Amino acid sequence: MKNNLFKNLLFLTGFMFCSFIEAQSVTGTISDSSGPLPGANVVVKGTTNGTTTDFDGKYTLSNVSSDAVLSVSYVGYFTQEISVSDQSTINVTLIASASELEEIVVVGYGTKQKSLVTGSISSINSKEIQSTSNQRVEQVLQGRTSGVTVVTSSGSPGAGAKVRIRGTGSNGNSDPLYIVDGMKVSSIDNIAPSDIANLEVLKDAASAAIYGTEGANGVIIITTKQGKLGESVVSYSSQFGVQSVKTKMNLMNASQFVTYMNEAGNSAVVDNGIKTDWIDETFNDSFVQRHDISVSGASEKLSYYLSGSFLDDNGTVGGDNSYYKRYTLRANLKSEVNDWLEIGSNITYSNTGVSPIAEDDSFRGVVNNVLLIDPLTPVTYAGALPQRAVDGVAAGTAMMDANGNVYGYPTYSTGEVINPVASSNFIYRGNIDTDIILTSVYAKLKLAKGLSFTSRLGYERSNRLDSRWNPIYAVTSEQQNTTVTLRNNINRNSRWLWENFASYSKEVGNHNFTALLGYSAEKIKNPYFSLQGSDVAQPTEEFAYFDYTNRDNDIIGGSIYQKNTESVFGRLSYDYLGKYLIEGSLRYDKSSVFPQSEKGGYFPAISSGWVVSKEDFWSEDSKIDYLKVRASWGQNGSDANLPGNGDIQVFQTVDGSTSVVYQGVTGVTPGDLANPSLTWERSEQLDLGVDLRALDGRLNFAADYFIKTTKDLIIPNGNIIAPPSLGQTVGAINGGTVENKGFEFEIGYNNTTDSGLRYGIDLNLSTLSNKVTSVIVPSALVGASAPQNDDGVTRFEEGFPIWYFYGYQTDGINPATGEINIVDTDGVEGITSNDKTMIGSPQPDMLFGGNISLGYKAFDFNVMFQGTQGNDIFSAYHQPSRPITNKPIEYFTGRWQQPGDIASFPGAANIADAYDTDLMVQDGSYVRIKQIQFGYNFPKEIAEKLKLKSLRTYISLDDYFTFTKYNGLDPESGSYSDNSIGVDRGFYPIPAKALFGLSVEF
Amino acid sequence: MKKYIFSTIIILLISVACNKEFTEIAPVGVLDANTFFDNEENAEQALIGLYDLMQYNYAKDWHSAYFLKILPGDDANAGGGSSTDQTQLQDVDDYANVSVSNSTILSVWNLFYRTIALSNTIINTVEGSTLSNKDFVLAEAKFFRAWCYFELTTMWGDVPLRLENPMELSAQAFGIPKSPRADIYTQVEADLAAAIAGLPNKGSENQNFRVSKGAAQALLGKVLIFQEKYSQAIPYLADVIANSAHELEENPANVWSINSEFGKESLFELGYISTNGYDWGNVAWGGRMESSLHIQLMGPRGDGYFDLTGTGLLNGWGFNLPTAKIISAFEAAGDVDRKAATLMTETELVAAGGSLTGSPWDYEGAIRMKYATRASDTSADGVRELNYSTNWRLLRYSEVLLLAAEAYNKDGQDGNARIELNKVRNRAGLADVSTTLSGNDLFEAVVNEKFLELSFEGQRFWDLVRWGKASTELSSTGYSAKNNLFPIPINEIDLNEALTEADQNPGY
Repeated sequence: MKNNLFKNLLFLTGFMFCSFIEAQSVTGTISDSSGPLPGANVVVKGTTNGTTTDFDGKYTLSNVSSDAVLSVSYVGYFTQEISVSDQSTINVTLIASASELEEIVVVGYGTKQKSLVTGSISSINSKEIQSTSNQRVEQVLQGRTSGVTVVTSSGSPGAGAKVRIRGTGSNGNSDPLYIVDGMKVSSIDNIAPSDIANLEVLKDAASAAIYGTEGANGVIIITTKQGKLGESVVSYSSQFGVQSVKTKMNLMNASQFVTYMNEAGNSAVVDNGIKTDWIDETFNDSFVQRHDISVSGASEKLSYYLSGSFLDDNGTVGGDNSYYKRYTLRANLKSEVNDWLEIGSNITYSNTGVSPIAEDDSFRGVVNNVLLIDPLTPVTYAGALPQRAVDGVAAGTAMMDANGNVYGYPTYSTGEVINPVASSNFIYRGNIDTDIILTSVYAKLKLAKGLSFTSRLGYERSNRLDSRWNPIYAVTSEQQNTTVTLRNNINRNSRWLWENFASYSKEVGNHNFTALLGYSAEKIKNPYFSLQGSDVAQPTEEFAYFDYTNRDNDIIGGSIYQKNTESVFGRLSYDYLGKYLIEGSLRYDKSSVFPQSEKGGYFPAISSGWVVSKEDFWSEDSKIDYLKVRASWGQNGSDANLPGNGDIQVFQTVDGSTSVVYQGVTGVTPGDLANPSLTWERSEQLDLGVDLRALDGRLNFAADYFIKTTKDLIIPNGNIIAPPSLGQTVGAINGGTVENKGFEFEIGYNNTTDSGLRYGIDLNLSTLSNKVTSVIVPSALVGASAPQNDDGVTRFEEGFPIWYFYGYQTDGINPATGEINIVDTDGVEGITSNDKTMIGSPQPDMLFGGNISLGYKAFDFNVMFQGTQGNDIFSAYHQPSRPITNKPIEYFTGRWQQPGDIASFPGAANIADAYDTDLMVQDGSYVRIKQIQFGYNFPKEIAEKLKLKSLRTYISLDDYFTFTKYNGLDPESGSYSDNSIGVDRGFYPIPAKALFGLSVEF
Repeated sequence: MKKYIFSTIIILLISVACNKEFTEIAPVGVLDANTFFDNEENAEQALIGLYDLMQYNYAKDWHSAYFLKILPGDDANAGGGSSTDQTQLQDVDDYANVSVSNSTILSVWNLFYRTIALSNTIINTVEGSTLSNKDFVLAEAKFFRAWCYFELTTMWGDVPLRLENPMELSAQAFGIPKSPRADIYTQVEADLAAAIAGLPNKGSENQNFRVSKGAAQALLGKVLIFQEKYSQAIPYLADVIANSAHELEENPANVWSINSEFGKESLFELGYISTNGYDWGNVAWGGRMESSLHIQLMGPRGDGYFDLTGTGLLNGWGFNLPTAKIISAFEAAGDVDRKAATLMTETELVAAGGSLTGSPWDYEGAIRMKYATRASDTSADGVRELNYSTNWRLLRYSEVLLLAAEAYNKDGQDGNARIELNKVRNRAGLADVSTTLSGNDLFEAVVNEKFLELSFEGQRFWDLVRWGKASTELSSTGYSAKNNLFPIPINEIDLNEALTEADQNPGY
């Protein structure tokens, strides 16, 4: 085929030579506003005579007739046509097309012109993220597109975030599917944001359906950078900053605490002159730095992008004891071997080290203890030690700082509550070290015109070593570790994914067809090991290895998780003149985790679009340049990481983590009741949308409405349907439907004034309404627990938002007694646990974000904000069983003191009654200025003197300003578990960062 | 070249895609239930599973059947760190706020039914088999099923009687109505009759922890007495008493000691061991542990309260404290030896070298010595708090003697009643009761003897209820008649299709 083309060309060239029309050669340079443009296309219109510009933007075309017209084009720029008319040098400056419509968007197994997209896809490109301080991909997503909720798990260094596309669709894992350079990955921990070229969020079902399995929660496609034709570019950027915790939260001070405790009847609590502000004492300022370096370039045959990055983030709790360090290396290579073969590979290695402290724990978390410990406890003792500390030192169980000062024992607080500075600095030792290798190689064969075949093999391997130990300490009966304990967890996960797909495009007149057909196979094999030991000779790092434990106490464990999936998928797209668009796709997935009869599932989707602005009736001079309406429908699946083989009735010798053994004799226990009818969780989504561009491309607008229904929810713990008298355990079952619906808007306006001021504003807003529409059981599923509360604080129940807050409604404080007036909701006389009801929801009604940018000459200024509206936060850090604990200051200032008081909080003696009521629920709405950045690009002359291509510096304030009514540590801190979103058990707040950044290219 | 590459890929593709086994992965670490009972060893393993569930249920973290049965009695207070420490336990102790969602009540109910379900599986599978150990396997499984149903009906009254497990996963198959207590008793009696027939005598079991014929006889006698079928109970109890394999330990100090575990006085006992080396890192909170966390839970509270120097005890978490009533009952009886094995007053504590500072919650003047946190009962090295090896004696020979005394008394055989009662008194170092003591006075003497002998063993409250004495003995404690039964867990009523709110026990 190619050979034929070449022959034709030869023939054509020969024919031209022989023509009588005077032929000449034309040279020139193609550039854009910033300089020469390598790789631009220059073609003699109406012929196949053409070339592309070289590294310096230069081109030479021979045999150009004097009456010819040159057509100069480049993706992202307006095509220009210039009459040759005897000129031998033609220089063209291309103008960037203000529109994004010619942009190419990455879709599943291919790319597509944005103007032809019929689904709902949001894109973020490298320009938008190049100067942020974001360390993680999830943070990059936050606030930048509509329909994406990012709930940061914690402000702890290296902590991940929960990304939710169009709401929480499942009772369990609702994480989106991440695809990096075509490869499905299990973690995006190891991606340096600086390596990202672009990031696409496939929100509607039709776009995601080609991924079938696991596409139910949306798909995020990350494409990393490739070398560009031209000179090699070395770029280096670095960032240094200081981070600190900024919180509105205030706890009672020492004298308020004494007053409060005395009023509560704890007369033993007396002012001892110590006034510790535990928030101040626990959170410290820390240093963060990031360095990214890359070398990239391309020749006609080969393009390369090599990069390395280093991130060092010291946490704001526990000084050096909490950190996150990440090293990444990447090599992206691509080669056009010949005219029918393209091969490429993306290889990355990363290493992360993280040393976390305990949080999200109502009993033992460091941050939980910050909120609870009495302010009459010193951080360390100055002067004489109290008897308890003397005894502790004598017994070798006292916690001491590096200088040998003894950490304060709680003066009054009891139970699990201990000195948080001591626990963060002394108790948590060790770290989690993870290596991830992610490689993918592909070959793309161009079999015929319009027909290509791609085979891609991806392999991911991660080794995670969680190695921790705890030294000896004893504070109370509930907080002690009287022998050194060691714990290692080793996970060695691997996955290969082999994908093969053929793509065929054909134009028949004004009809354009593209077809895709593919097959993929995936194998996951994750062995894991756990080691526990204790009792080493010395409580030091040097003995924290298993060779030195008391071997009698060693406990080892381990097993394997395996899953195999294979799929066949196809897609057919059609458009007529780029005006009427329609696309359909179908995927068949077969997964090992389902029972024999239910292994496979079909996932269809269909979508269509109508580009109204291309119709003849559309006025040429309409202010609206482009208007598209689109609709899509599709189904996606999820296998929710089931363990598999749930259809076989078994006996086993372990129950959870403990063995079935009695007096040294091994026994068995029945496994879960077999469920031969377990099937795919299926999400069905309808999306209606409109895309619009107006005012010569300066204004962009997109709106979507969606309804997403997730059916046959997989509930991993089927015991929720088992009456306790069944006496058998039930594993995963299907049982429930969740509906999410909402509107999404994205609007942007970008312009440059005549005076050269560049400005732009981009806003996005999403509304979300979330409801559980059916559950297999009439009663609610109980989710998050809280201390001494048998009813749980979150529930999953028909007719309510997913995992809503559950507790007593209150109706003020009884002015006579200071007790809480509980609302009797069940109509039965008296207050019982049946009166508990919905008292709040962690699901926001609205999410929004925006970016305002200004630029003038070499200066640029950028403000990015993000927020939520209508979500609640439940304070679950209180412990009814430990009454002598500190509380937020409003509990003190708003308390009932004497008969007749109209108070917002109960009297001190009754506060424990408030812990399962709506008094613990606060509005969690907030607006956070994610970034304020001021940058300066050094003028070319200065840069050139320094032998640099470009030099930019900036200063940035990230997460610095927050507007919220919420009185806790941080409205943004979420939770690690799906049923505990908005349940505040004491979280590491997200630190504010002041950063200085520098980026150079040479 | 192109063709070669393309065909290689296609061949590879076909070889993977046509491999039908690709999406089949064999389960890891499990045994197929369909073939499991094909041999004798496996059937024995399933029996061990029953023992393990019992061990679990009677000492599970903060939710044990052992403590739940004690709490409503007048011998013990909940104790703990404060009035709100483990509210689900405090509530049962204080009667008024026992909730239908009480987590301890739920856990105990569920674990009895888990034990029953496994018994059902064993019984229903092995019954049709030709295993050589069939009779023994059936007998042991039936003993456990009987034990669990007896406990259930004692604490909850009418309960679902499930003798076959549903094989199908559906709410309909899971639903089962309550059966009257009388039907439960009938089934328990039938199971025990089979157990008596199939179980070996004490001393000839394969392992010392296994239940014997005597255990089944004693339990059946107890079950009959709970139904006031005194004359029917007597032969079973008399058989146990006459069997020389069963005897009283010589002195009270030995009865609950780790030195006499699975000893001559013990008819049914749950074993715990200290050799697992639990530490604060690997302790399996809420899991099937081999040591007893409950001993630690019920030790005198440290944290500045009890200094236990000289007592041989270690500090615990402060639960299960003696009431003033049981202290004075011992003193009134002039009981010295058995009292010393049961509790220690503050004066005695100080005399031994210890002390008390402040006033621990629910403390009324003494700490408990029966099933106490003895340093000698846990591992010598490692974390002693987490490795107590103290066994629960759930059915003792002395209880059999007192049950027999009660049955003889009610059956008009006061002479025999005094004989059995005196055996218990003499071992405690007390004199015989007057030879003229008879009728109701003798009954009251049995009642009081049982109060002392079986204090902190979970018998007292349930005896008071069946004797109709609860309202007088527990007056002004918050007790009301509704407390005679625990509430059926709300989960059961919500999820069991055959039950409605109307099936809840009265008053909840």
